[in-house]
Amino acid sequence: MKSNAGHRVSGSEILGPNSEIGRKLRQYYDEIASDEVPDRFAQLLSRLEQAETSTDKE
Amino acid sequence: MASASGFRSDLLAAIPSLRAFAVSLAQNADKADDLVQETLVKAWDKQKSFQPGTNLKAWLFTILRNEFYSQMRKRGREVQDSDGTMTGRLAVHPSQDGALDLQDFRRALKQLPEDQREAIILIGASGFSYEEAAEICGCAVGTIKSRVSRGRARLQELLDISGEADYGPDSIAAQVLGSNVA
Repeated sequence: MKSNAGHRVSGSEILGPNSEIGRKLRQYYDEIASDEVPDRFAQLLSRLEQAETSTDKE
Repeated sequence: MASASGFRSDLLAAIPSLRAFAVSLAQNADKADDLVQETLVKAWDKQKSFQPGTNLKAWLFTILRNEFYSQMRKRGREVQDSDGTMTGRLAVHPSQDGALDLQDFRRALKQLPEDQREAIILIGASGFSYEEAAEICGCAVGTIKSRVSRGRARLQELLDISGEADYGPDSIAAQVLGSNVA
């Protein structure tokens, strides 16, 4: 594919759709990323935000 | 602070990819969630140092990664380096259709040294450029490239995939049409 020669090398070339390893890598990663996010994180952020707004009030 | 809840929702939106990166690094779901939690707290504390308009995801990944390595050092565990010897090949037998099982892939990924694993994840799965990955890992772009390529070679070896680059449509076409075409 000579037309690609001038493109910036990116991960998609050596780990791209033609690469079984690249596909598995994304499958592995996307599976974790699509897990439901535990409530503890949203709760944590709410607490952090509340703490901030209560100290910011002047 | 008017931007606080914007920052909060940006953090919230980044959690799924932070978790995926954390699991990839820590190779353990509980430790990964602790890392994400620590990252969120640190990010919140440091939010004034974040430059709006720059890459929040890369900034968060950097915090998470630093946290991971600092916890490892505290635990006294030596960080694996790529030159560390890791012999032994997984007994992986691709199923009959040739598809690689995800479970086998997980086990192979776990055997990579951390530096190669993180590089291959950042480039191949998180969608960062080599430049961004180098920034996140605090190393040169060339170092990331070599880690990615060694990591990929190591995975191929562990999974018994030989010369998978040969299976791309272009090389198949080249084989069919004769090598002078390529």
